[in-house]
Amino acid sequence: MDIEAMKNAQDIQGLIRHLDHGKPYVQWRAADALGSLGEIACEPLLRPLAYHRVNVRIGAIEALGAIGSPRSVEPLIKTLMTDKSYEVRWVAAVALGEIGDKRAIPPLLASLKDDNRYVRYGSARALKEIGWSPETDEERAYYSLALQDWETVKKLGASATSPLIDMLKVQHPAMRAHIVEILGSIGGAVAERTCEQVLRDPDENVRWSGVLSAQRCGVPASRLPLELSKRPRTGPSVFGATLLNFFFLGIGYDYLGKWWGLVVLEIYMLLFLVSQLLVGLVRTLIMMVPVLAVFAVQTYFMAKKEAALAG
Amino acid sequence: MVDLSNLSGQKTEDIEKLTAAKDISGLIRALRSSNMHTQSAAAKALGSLGPAAMDVLIRDLKKKDKDHHLVIIKALSEIRDPTPVPVLIGMLKDEDSEVRWGAAIALGEIGDPQAIEPLVTCLRDYDKYVRYGAAFSLQLIGWKPPNDEEKAFLFVGMQEWKAVGLIGDSAVPALANILHDRHSIVRIKAVEILGELRSTRAIPVLMQSLADEDSEVRWKTVLASEKSGIRLMHLPRGLSRRPGLKKNPLIAGFLNFVLPGLGYAYLAKWWGVMIFEIDIFATVWALQYWGEKFTYEALLPIYFVLALHAYYITVKMPMDPP
Repeated sequence: MDIEAMKNAQDIQGLIRHLDHGKPYVQWRAADALGSLGEIACEPLLRPLAYHRVNVRIGAIEALGAIGSPRSVEPLIKTLMTDKSYEVRWVAAVALGEIGDKRAIPPLLASLKDDNRYVRYGSARALKEIGWSPETDEERAYYSLALQDWETVKKLGASATSPLIDMLKVQHPAMRAHIVEILGSIGGAVAERTCEQVLRDPDENVRWSGVLSAQRCGVPASRLPLELSKRPRTGPSVFGATLLNFFFLGIGYDYLGKWWGLVVLEIYMLLFLVSQLLVGLVRTLIMMVPVLAVFAVQTYFMAKKEAALAG
Repeated sequence: MVDLSNLSGQKTEDIEKLTAAKDISGLIRALRSSNMHTQSAAAKALGSLGPAAMDVLIRDLKKKDKDHHLVIIKALSEIRDPTPVPVLIGMLKDEDSEVRWGAAIALGEIGDPQAIEPLVTCLRDYDKYVRYGAAFSLQLIGWKPPNDEEKAFLFVGMQEWKAVGLIGDSAVPALANILHDRHSIVRIKAVEILGELRSTRAIPVLMQSLADEDSEVRWKTVLASEKSGIRLMHLPRGLSRRPGLKKNPLIAGFLNFVLPGLGYAYLAKWWGVMIFEIDIFATVWALQYWGEKFTYEALLPIYFVLALHAYYITVKMPMDPP
């Protein structure tokens, strides 16, 4: 059925079904149509907020944002705080900004600390839309970080320190590296300690940023190597590779990221099978174990060398 | 004949001998010398031999040998004779981007105005080397862009980003074109400038780029969209159209049921193939020692559990990193 016809017939359920249409522009038009229906569509659109399909939730929220009913504010806040999909949280933040209800301010402030940069960005823009402006330096720091307005954060100086340290929790490594860099330029005892701690970050760029910033903060260079060595090792385990190659020759190489690992495995398996058919299982095992032991030792040294290179 | 087995150490005197003997194929082989001077000397010598040499060079261009093509194209750009221009223009459509790049440079060196139109088309190539070569050659030939749109294509080709930004609105098609570039750095640059243009003409282009496969391009697009006046409300849906990295749980489950382990391999778990191998061995042994019926009774429930597990971990898998 045509979107226009459904809109004229006020077929709200039909339009909601089209929010998950295969073609994006149909989804779009369905959301627009729902938004244009006004207040009567508000109540039926609250239920899809819990639907499984991300597209439906996004479409419903777009429409609710256009309708702008105060009744949708609480459900949208719930979505902003709890939805698993970051696009949905993002669009909920934007919709709350469009509706412009002051009740949304505290949850949007909390969303400035969301793990996802899109949600943080959307929340900051929504807050501005509602007419909120930062009152304290701390709020300003979170707000500017959400907009990735690094210059403003830098100018805030020491008062931005604790928001910056708090936002080091985000998963995005580039953001963490940026934060560490700013902490280095701000300096101070807390920043100094953080720059040192960051040397254990799992991401190499963040650690490097930490090394540069720590020295700028006045951490003696002699302390850095020890701190850096405490980072978690994410590379493959040497012992694991050895053991794997002992039991399934080739898989250990595969585990170390060698493309030919599986080729070795196939050849080994084939030889094993043929030998078992010819001389029996026990004799095959007796023959294989010394060979496997040699390979295991070789794997041990190879993995060790690679771990050292990977740093 | 000169001994050709020792070309790399060849001196210019040898080239003189080859020239005196009008040994065209010998000179063409000398073009492959690793010595730069020998290469140039051979090219010059071929140029001095006139139409006869040119015919052979052009004939060689029609053979299917990429490396040889590049050698000859280089020589032609040193000889600067206009005869091969039509063939070189044809090579601007070669499937190999290095050949296209070389042809574009050679046409610029030769400087024949015939090449202008095809080179202008090359400014729309998806390969940045070809675009750069074409832009450089067009400037050598002295081409003046007839309008702002063409000027934008020229500057994009030259990677003169500042100049592109100053053109304004008319730069949109040229920037939209490089959003198909293979390198995300180029696409990010395009998106940033599209934002700086602050033009509504950029909106459809930016909406496309919201679904880019690269997460950094998508993020920069969001920042640029604000400047061009796209409603923030429309961005999340645009972003949700990006190519999904998430795997299909049904496929993972099915694979693990019929080929236990390969469901995990599909989920890019390195140990998937290991489980597959173990299963094959276990099955062979079990068939041998237990007999058919018992084997199936023992293994099928395990396969079922593996299938469920693969299905479950796919469903629980996080979406791609933000």
